Amino acid sequence: MKKIHKILILVSILFLPITFAEASTNSPLSFNILSPSSLSGTAGDFVTVQSQITNTGTTSLSEITSYLSLVDTENKLPVDLEDWSAEKGLFIGTIEPKQTLPLNWKIHFVKAGKYSLIVVAEIAGKNYPQTSTIVNFSVGPKQNLNPGKVLPVALFTPIVILFVMVLLTYKRNSKLSE
Amino acid sequence: MIKQIWLKEIKSELYTWKSTVWLLVTSLLFSFTSYLLLTNKELSLLDQTELLWILSEIIIGVALLIITIDASSIINSEFEKETAETLFLSPMTIKDLILGKLLASLSLWVAIFAVAAPYIIVASSGTDLALPFLFFVALLGTLGIVGFIGIIFAISLVYRSVKNTLTTSLILLLVFSVPAFFSSTLKNNPVAAWFSIIDPIDNIFSSLDNILVDYHTSILQNLNFIIPLSIFCAIGFISLWIAVKYFKKQGVIRSTQ
Amino acid sequence: MEKIISIKNLNKSYGAVKAVDNLNLSVDKGEFFGFLGPNGAGKTTTIRILTGMMEPDNGNIEITTLNHGTKSDIHRFLGVIPESRGFYEWMTGEEYLLFFANLYQIEGNAVKKVDELLKKTDLLRSKNKKIGAYSRGMKQRLGLARALINDPKILILDEPTLGLDPQGQEDIKKMLKELNSKGVTIFYSSHILPEVENLCTKVAIIDQGKLVAQGTIQELKDGAKVDTLTEVFLKLTTPNHD
Repeated sequence: MKKIHKILILVSILFLPITFAEASTNSPLSFNILSPSSLSGTAGDFVTVQSQITNTGTTSLSEITSYLSLVDTENKLPVDLEDWSAEKGLFIGTIEPKQTLPLNWKIHFVKAGKYSLIVVAEIAGKNYPQTSTIVNFSVGPKQNLNPGKVLPVALFTPIVILFVMVLLTYKRNSKLSE
Repeated sequence: MIKQIWLKEIKSELYTWKSTVWLLVTSLLFSFTSYLLLTNKELSLLDQTELLWILSEIIIGVALLIITIDASSIINSEFEKETAETLFLSPMTIKDLILGKLLASLSLWVAIFAVAAPYIIVASSGTDLALPFLFFVALLGTLGIVGFIGIIFAISLVYRSVKNTLTTSLILLLVFSVPAFFSSTLKNNPVAAWFSIIDPIDNIFSSLDNILVDYHTSILQNLNFIIPLSIFCAIGFISLWIAVKYFKKQGVIRSTQ
Repeated sequence: MEKIISIKNLNKSYGAVKAVDNLNLSVDKGEFFGFLGPNGAGKTTTIRILTGMMEPDNGNIEITTLNHGTKSDIHRFLGVIPESRGFYEWMTGEEYLLFFANLYQIEGNAVKKVDELLKKTDLLRSKNKKIGAYSRGMKQRLGLARALINDPKILILDEPTLGLDPQGQEDIKKMLKELNSKGVTIFYSSHILPEVENLCTKVAIIDQGKLVAQGTIQELKDGAKVDTLTEVFLKLTTPNHD
């Protein structure tokens, strides 16, 4: 009897993750990130992440909140979306069965690097999120405004002032030692 | 006699390295910030006009701070170093002294502006904003600084102490600086909005924002900032005039001394 | 004798303390006038009022022939060594005197005038040294040179030999005698009595802000029936005011 119990417990443990995964795959929402290739660009660019959310189920869903999640894959760090001006979550009131709604986020590419992006949605009352597939993209470095012009001024001005100071001191000391 | 006082102050500032050190520090600060603004990978993502506005804030902020410190001591050092009596024993009047010292403080502002000018020009490269930027920093800065000097000199004549004048002037500068950093939402509050109108620093920064970010580069488009600044300037002179009356009543040497 | 300074009913208080109490005195033109009193007697306050540096509570000061102008006009004819002796330490002696020569708008060659004064006060060799490097005696002499930059008709001196070594004191006394012999009226405040006895023709003694005696030194000695000015002073003044 004890042996049967043990087998049953083992089987339930083995099936537990499958249940979650099933719950996830059985979600009535699906995402579609449109033209993921357009996401690539140069630091400083403003791009729009265009996506669609579809209710694939047979009942309407309400109180859905969706948001972006961004990871710096080179440094293995999550990105602070506030810096990228994309911190806002989007609230969807109700989505009818088979209805598709657009979801757009405007983001500012701040730093060059490689990133992965997913769209996440939460449905009120459900204890699992719905995520899109991962979209990988890269941000190229931006040419600086005019470092070639500012550098001479940034170096030359303090040097001129220092030179004037030394010259004044020299002239003054020459007079004092007369 | 105004010229003699002015020249004495200029020589004092140069020979004692007081101003030259200020100017060197200022140029290093401008070098650092402008280089950072134009080359830092994250900051350089800002729109160029935003960069110019940040640079203008730094120029005006640094100038106001240096002038406040300098003006707080320029009159009172004569009392604290006991040189005021010998000055007033000559035919020089309090009016000569004040105008000479005012010119000296303004000369420091001119020097700071001259140091800032190359940075302004290079940062404005590629835009049509270099000339308006230079002109308005000069105009708005001069109006604000003259007003501040008037008030600081008035405080000087009342306190006759560098420490007390400097502390009061820095508090005043701080009070006027804070609203300039209010968000636009906060400025919608009636009290904050009212304070913004009379606050010289807020007027300078708002006007520069209007010029550099919104491209409103004519005097007419900035009159709503220039008029309150001119009124502030007049208030500086009126407070100085009252303080001179008070000074004359007290005498060069106060009865408490 | 023509009166050049008249002080009438002068009063000045610092709170409850009367520094000058109904003071009346006069100085004749060309006189070497000694103004005596113990510490805290009101000498410096009187001089500050006399030179326009302090406002009196009430009373009147007249500086004859100079009264028609403004205060700054009067200062054109006055040479003063005040009690406070601040200098611009970063200036050289020559720059300092040239600065004041320009403030007084000295006519003619100011550099020549400054050189003469530097020579007279034995500072010519140190003219290009910073004042900050001057000794106390050199600063005193520079102060005197500054007081003489405008060729004053009246010299008002508040303890001019204070802190000087004997040689320095002698040098200054010699210069003052020479100036007085050329017609400059000297109002000399001091409490070094032998010095005053040696220099002054007339003296006034004040004590606790009040005039206690005025006249020639001989008149005061005769009146007090003593032999020296020091004895007169000790007889008429309160010993300790501190």
